[in-house]
Amino acid sequence: MKFTDYIRIAFRNIRRQKLRSALTIFAVVIGATSVTIMLALVTGAKSFFLRQVESSGMLQQIAVSPKQDITDFNDAGNGSNCDSCVKLTDDIVNKINKIDHVTGVAREYGAYQLQALVYNGKKLSMNRTDAYDANGVITVTMVAGRDFTPEDKEGVVIITADYADKFGFKGHYQDMVGKEIIIQTQKGYSGVGADVPRPEPPKPGEQNNGPPDYPATQLKAKVVGIQDTSDNSQTVRVPLDWARAINVNHMWQVTEADQKLNEAACKNSRGPCGNQNNMTLVATDYFTQSGYQALIVKADTAKNAKLVAADIKKLGVGAADAESMINQQLMIFNIMGLILGGIGGIALVVAAIGVINTMIMAILERTREIGVMRAVGARRSTVRKLFTFEASLLGFFGGVFGVLVGYGLTRIANVVVNKQLASQSVKASNIIGMPIWLILTVVGIATLIGMLAGLYPAARAAKLDPVEALRYE
Amino acid sequence: MPAIIEIKGVTRTYKLGDEILNALDNVSFSVNAGEFVAITGPSGSGKSTLANIIGGLDKPNSGTISVDGNDLSHTRDNKLSDYRNEHIGFVFQSFNLQGNNTALENVMLPLVFARMKNKERKVRAKECLEAVGLGDRLKHRPTQLSGGQRQRVAIARALATRPKILIADEPTGNLDSARGEEIMKLLKELNKKEGITLLIITHDMNVARQAGRVVEIRDGKLNERRG
Repeated sequence: MKFTDYIRIAFRNIRRQKLRSALTIFAVVIGATSVTIMLALVTGAKSFFLRQVESSGMLQQIAVSPKQDITDFNDAGNGSNCDSCVKLTDDIVNKINKIDHVTGVAREYGAYQLQALVYNGKKLSMNRTDAYDANGVITVTMVAGRDFTPEDKEGVVIITADYADKFGFKGHYQDMVGKEIIIQTQKGYSGVGADVPRPEPPKPGEQNNGPPDYPATQLKAKVVGIQDTSDNSQTVRVPLDWARAINVNHMWQVTEADQKLNEAACKNSRGPCGNQNNMTLVATDYFTQSGYQALIVKADTAKNAKLVAADIKKLGVGAADAESMINQQLMIFNIMGLILGGIGGIALVVAAIGVINTMIMAILERTREIGVMRAVGARRSTVRKLFTFEASLLGFFGGVFGVLVGYGLTRIANVVVNKQLASQSVKASNIIGMPIWLILTVVGIATLIGMLAGLYPAARAAKLDPVEALRYE
Repeated sequence: MPAIIEIKGVTRTYKLGDEILNALDNVSFSVNAGEFVAITGPSGSGKSTLANIIGGLDKPNSGTISVDGNDLSHTRDNKLSDYRNEHIGFVFQSFNLQGNNTALENVMLPLVFARMKNKERKVRAKECLEAVGLGDRLKHRPTQLSGGQRQRVAIARALATRPKILIADEPTGNLDSARGEEIMKLLKELNKKEGITLLIITHDMNVARQAGRVVEIRDGKLNERRG
């Protein structure tokens, strides 16, 4: 028997019991639809992620860390306090700049002791303050205003859209640009802009009170730009120079010189010698102890990122390109795909049971017909193939309709997601895609499941004794 | 005339629970090409079993059977299927047509298994339906045809692959006597004009009488009477 005959006869048989076939196919449609949607979601999220990574230039970036054994790009900023850590200094930055294929280095340094952003009486807590060179190595998407330039030294700030939303500038971020906002420090802050009064000398008989509790400082800053929120929300960015200045601690101390002065004054005085209080305001630059938190190095091409990372490691510092981080992220997507696809797969397995049921019924009804087919020359294998084809066809139709329904649903989902993305000012749309391989895979799987479900009923049909089958009532 | 069917010492037993039933008990029998043989006997006598063994639907437990040079007692299932397709035409008491297919499609069925091209199939099936006088009923479904017409379609189907042997199991059993006569006339014509070997299983003496030779089976044993 020819292939086209199998298809033709199977198709005709499916049409014979329209309602039953439709219901069986419907069960497959449910399974195929869920597999389609789950896979489309994961695929969409994955390609969206990859596009974001690519457009962020992350593939060309190498993260350098004081910690030597980092393997993950994202670990670079963490753990600068370890015994074996190597301080990231400008000397190292210069050395890195001389490595082949390096096109730029951005130094990262966080500002500490900052507590809240205040605008127009509204106070929002601050999670993170980033500071890095505004030299184009790290690029961010601005939704309003501009990025920092090397001319920005202090008194300027870039906030994420999330903050602007909360300050009431949702939808008109441009209006926030140029506004002056307050960065409020924690109590005890003694960095740039802090009022650090000379402590009163301890009264006779009193213990030294230790460092005084300075009040919180209000640092004025002009908003120069609003940054896209999509990657990490609630970030406040200040220029690198300002971050360094903010982290400088000021403290009144009795230095050795002061001590000598005090002692000298004591010798000369006739009275009790306790309240000589020569003191100096000592500035401690935290940076000189810690160095940069991390460096982001840009290679000329994504391919060379690995080479550059290897060369940087030779300087004794830790370095990692984005590959392992991206791979890890992709693996999460893949696992998600497996789990979600598996959930849809369960629906398909249930549908397969429906196909088995339908086929067994069909074979009972058509027992005599099978007998006739055998009598006029159909081989066992012909009968088996015929019913396997019929079951496969049920699966195939289920797969095709499932993909169609799934496609419709993802279109609707895209409308919702597009709105969501637009509200977060992400420049992307229709991220839930349906590549051709997905369509073919789902239709293929549904057909395969139909075929597998048909194997047992078809084997039963093929095993029928023609004499018995012809006598069957 | 050379023998087209040769059966030697064929025994076929069935297990019915603990009982062993001898459907055919050491039967020997031969049919010449172009003969018209009626096989008669009471129900359960084994006449259908004999027809099934000759038709390649069943196999004997022992003994040999050879039809047109094919040794059927040691033939594998696939070969038996091909044998049925090429050498045998079956006509059943209850017609056994496919209800949702047209007369033409019913007649085309054996040709599908014979791997004939679609166009040729149609031509041949039409030819067969014309031969049984149904040239104007090609697109009719069995439900749109009378009993006699249905049996004609079944005969046309049996003829489709140009078999040498036609096995008809009570072909007139479901028809009134007038229609039955017509069918018998058609079968005899095919036997005479086309030289098709005709085996009719019947317990209707009016039918058996028309055969050139009548064999009777009783309790699995064969008795021959010259007609």
